[in-house]
Amino acid sequence: MWGRSALSREGCRLSDKPDEELIAEVLGGHNDAFAELAGRHRPRVERLCRRFFSDEEMAHDIAQESFIRAYTALASYRAEMPFGGWLRAIVVNLCYDELRRRRRRPEELVGDFSAPEVQWMQTANVASPEDIVGEAEERREAYDLAHRLLDTLKPDDRMVMVLKESEDLSVSEIAQTLGWSEAKVKIRAFRARQALRKQAERMLATGRNR
Amino acid sequence: MNCFEARQEFPALWRKTATAERRADLLGHLKGCDKCDHAFRVFALTAPVLHGDMEQPASRVSMPARREFSLADRPRRFASVTREVSRPNRWIPMAAAAAIFVFASSAAYLSTRAPNESIGEALSAPELSLNPETAGDPLAPEMPLTESDLAS
Repeated sequence: MWGRSALSREGCRLSDKPDEELIAEVLGGHNDAFAELAGRHRPRVERLCRRFFSDEEMAHDIAQESFIRAYTALASYRAEMPFGGWLRAIVVNLCYDELRRRRRRPEELVGDFSAPEVQWMQTANVASPEDIVGEAEERREAYDLAHRLLDTLKPDDRMVMVLKESEDLSVSEIAQTLGWSEAKVKIRAFRARQALRKQAERMLATGRNR
Repeated sequence: MNCFEARQEFPALWRKTATAERRADLLGHLKGCDKCDHAFRVFALTAPVLHGDMEQPASRVSMPARREFSLADRPRRFASVTREVSRPNRWIPMAAAAAIFVFASSAAYLSTRAPNESIGEALSAPELSLNPETAGDPLAPEMPLTESDLAS
């Protein structure tokens, strides 16, 4: 679950008040407390949005909209679940809506790769595992190609992949977050893995053949 | 380390959270197992997004300037869900459509009553027919008779 960060991203120390106390202050009319709450959770929210959208502006906008919706719905928040989990459900639902709103891309990977992208695919084919990890950190094309691969998934499949792989959520947690049955989550996860593997194999083959 | 354990360690290797011992075990396994080595390469293609820290490397596009949270800072793409957003007055086209409909209905009605008349003629009633004495009398003369009429 999303914990509470002691430091804001600017490096300023935030108060040690728990989330619930800040929420009570916001509901009592102290809007400044929400700015602190948002500052505390913003890095995680933005990181999650960036796993869905390569467009930085889009990720930023969805993060901002998530906080606005959290603010307007704060009275409905119940302390039975952590605020971070509640906020994540808002973020995930917004991302899901946006993925579905987008014009559907063909579920096949488009093959027009730039020279740096081909170079990265060649690296992924021949370099040692340690070198692959090191190179990926430095190359934007590694990030872009990963997004292109994930863009080939259906929105439902992509949601499950991100929540399972990136957020390390269990099947039941994903089902609760998305309002799906556990069986549906399992099926989606299986299909998503199959589809991703197929596309990644093609990408590796492209790197070998050029 | 067997193949299942090795594949479970891929995310830890990518995130650099594996212990030195586990890391060495994994790298040793990958050297000796072609299937797991290939699986790692497949994994590496999506790992930058699924397992990366998502912080911005210097080569990537810079993020918009980070600001404190503000309710007024609503993204434009979501502005349509805000109730306060001003919308064009929808009554204007509706009123125009209603006016056109009334005008067209009136024109159609009058054209069936007086098909050879223009709308303007139909709307202006003839003065003669307003004479209560002659209106509706088929035998009434059209014009008053004069003495020359009688003489002829």
